[in-house]
Amino acid sequence: MITTKKITKKYGDFTALDQLSLNVKPGEIYCLLGANGAGKSTTINLVLGFINPTSGEALINGKSVFKNNIETKKDIAYIPENLMLYPTLTAMENLDYFSGIGGQKLKKDQLESLLIQSGLQPEAFYKRTNAFSKGMRQKVGIAIAIAKQAKALLLDEPTSGLDPKASNEFGELLQELKGNGVATLMATHDLFRAKEIATHIGIMKSGKLKQQFTASDISLPQLEKAYLDTMNYKELAK
Amino acid sequence: MKNTLIKELKELFRDGRIRLAGGIVILLLGMAVWISSSQYHKIKQQNKISEAHERENWEDQGEKNPHSAAHYGTYAFKPQYPLGFLDKGIEKYAGTSVFMEAHKRNEAQFSPVIDQTGLARFGELSPDFILLFIIPLLIILMGYNSFTKERELGTVSLLKSQGVKSNNILFGKWLSLFLPIIAITLLLFLIAGILLSGLEGFGWGSLFLLLLVYWIYYAVFINITLLTSRLSKSSSIALVVMLSVWIVSCLVVPKATGNIADSKYPYPTRQQFTTSVLVDKEKGLDGHNPWSKEAKKLEQQTLAKYKVDSLAQLPFNYDAFRMQKGEEHEAKVYQKHYQKLRDQFAGQASTYRSLSILSPFLPARFLSMGISRTDYHSHWDFEDATENYRIITQKFLNDNFAKNSSYGDWGYKVDSSFWKDLPKFNYEHPSLNKVLEQQLFSLVILMGWLLISFLLLLTVKNKI
Ligand SMILES: Nc1ncnc2c1ncn2[C@@H]1O[C@H](COP(=O)(O)OP(=O)(O)OP(=O)(O)O)[C@@H](O)[C@H]1O
Ligand SMILES: [Mg+2]
Repeated sequence: MITTKKITKKYGDFTALDQLSLNVKPGEIYCLLGANGAGKSTTINLVLGFINPTSGEALINGKSVFKNNIETKKDIAYIPENLMLYPTLTAMENLDYFSGIGGQKLKKDQLESLLIQSGLQPEAFYKRTNAFSKGMRQKVGIAIAIAKQAKALLLDEPTSGLDPKASNEFGELLQELKGNGVATLMATHDLFRAKEIATHIGIMKSGKLKQQFTASDISLPQLEKAYLDTMNYKELAK
Repeated sequence: MKNTLIKELKELFRDGRIRLAGGIVILLLGMAVWISSSQYHKIKQQNKISEAHERENWEDQGEKNPHSAAHYGTYAFKPQYPLGFLDKGIEKYAGTSVFMEAHKRNEAQFSPVIDQTGLARFGELSPDFILLFIIPLLIILMGYNSFTKERELGTVSLLKSQGVKSNNILFGKWLSLFLPIIAITLLLFLIAGILLSGLEGFGWGSLFLLLLVYWIYYAVFINITLLTSRLSKSSSIALVVMLSVWIVSCLVVPKATGNIADSKYPYPTRQQFTTSVLVDKEKGLDGHNPWSKEAKKLEQQTLAKYKVDSLAQLPFNYDAFRMQKGEEHEAKVYQKHYQKLRDQFAGQASTYRSLSILSPFLPARFLSMGISRTDYHSHWDFEDATENYRIITQKFLNDNFAKNSSYGDWGYKVDSSFWKDLPKFNYEHPSLNKVLEQQLFSLVILMGWLLISFLLLLTVKNKI
């Protein structure tokens, strides 16, 4: 469903992403781990078609993202690292607008139930989002993503800013979507949650995919060790 | 598109700055309409009273020599065209009444007030000022950050991920600027239409054409504003660029064009004009001077034509006949010199026309004045009508004098009912077709601006 084939992104001489290949099938949750600057967001942005690859390609449902930019986006829902909303619109209006341009025509009660699902407190539904905390905005983003009923979910540290309870609920939501056959690619720093929800885990470093695991094959301490080993290798190289 | 339109409208109406600015514009517009309409009615009332008064004076001259009446003279008043209340055009500077008397075409205001476009008009609060200058500013204020804000708010990535065609967002944003402007102007024009609909000479066609011209003008500004917003790195840059565009197209280009037109095709000063008319007048027949060379020549010709020996034997009063001939000569002289003024004007107008590719303001300005019948074409149309009427009046008087009295009979008097026989001065403004003919070029240029700015807006791609 979400596929990258030897995708490379260079900024001048700097290689942000180096021949990265991965594949996320329907019903899978793939967690990308890696230090800051490892290339996680770059990978996701390439799959979204926000940036063009230097070589290689990204595919959604078998279709090239670069050749079918608009079309492939119909199948994608995205939650950015730092989700921003229109501050003069209410949570409901933001949700209504984004789901509207995504092709969804939702009624008031449908919108409300989406926001309830996202875990946003009901008293905030009709408030302008200018005073929303990061976590509250993120929740509206989650509602927007669910509303789209996409087959592929691209998440760039979606739980950053969420309180533990909300983060936990979000994990449950992902499990539910997994059950519906959604393919999820998620960048995260949270090893614990990755181990808990992922079906597959990849560890990135300097634009390369260093290790891949099937989540059920590995325990949390093993994952932690693998992660730290990959990182330390860099220290040693220096 | 509809989603974006609604969202943009909400954002606009919730922005305190926009609400304030919009409120001020509507307030100003309301005030301008009120002031302008009360002025309009006042002038109309005055004109009506003066006109009736003048005609009464004319008809009540009693028993009098026709040529004395010719010297006594009368005034012709320019009826106000109803739309003039929306765009006064040159009417502020040019006279609206002409004194008509024997031997003399009274000069119209040809002092260089052609400069209708620059800062000169800045001080007055009239509907056209707000329509031409202030509403484009409102558009800029509403739209300069239309695209840059998405980047600055950080909403752009979520927006892009929704898989919406960039043109849908563009058209949504475009309409969110256009519809409020449409609403404000439509309301204004409907109010104007209702206020004016009872008036003589009013046509809804002209009113709606005028509205259409303004809508095209605003669409051009919306295109340029959104184009700038698409291309700018930040909102503040976009705002500075758009304010510069406004200053250049609404103030600098019109002013510069006025100066260029004036220096290329200068009008004579009033003194130069009077002197050259006088010189040409003296070259021909003076109706009051029987001893000049020209007068003697006319005398010989007339005697020969009627095969008589003395002027007293002619079947008409030769004094009056000569007076009419003098009048005809003078009319020709005026005709020639006014034609020269018009040639200068034509030169100026063509300068304006060719430079109007530099600013959408110019074609809009000229179309607005043209359709409101307050431009130079209309003004001269009126002056020509008064000159024709003056010539008719003089002939009416001289013919009566010549036919009903004999040579040397300066004591001749017509009876008091005679004056009523002179037809009233009845001026009709140029038709809309005629205006369109004159303004075709402006219309083409304005449409050109619309088309090109729109194509640019569509072709320039940004990331949204
Ligand atoms: N537009 C750009 N120009 C130059 N370099 C860039 C650009 N965008 C990203 N990079 C570089 O590419 C590398 C990968 O960045 P990326 O954002 O993908 O990291 P990340 O894994 O998401 O990090 P984080 O955990 O901090 O979010 C970084 O070194 C970054 O500096
Ligand atoms: Mg990142």
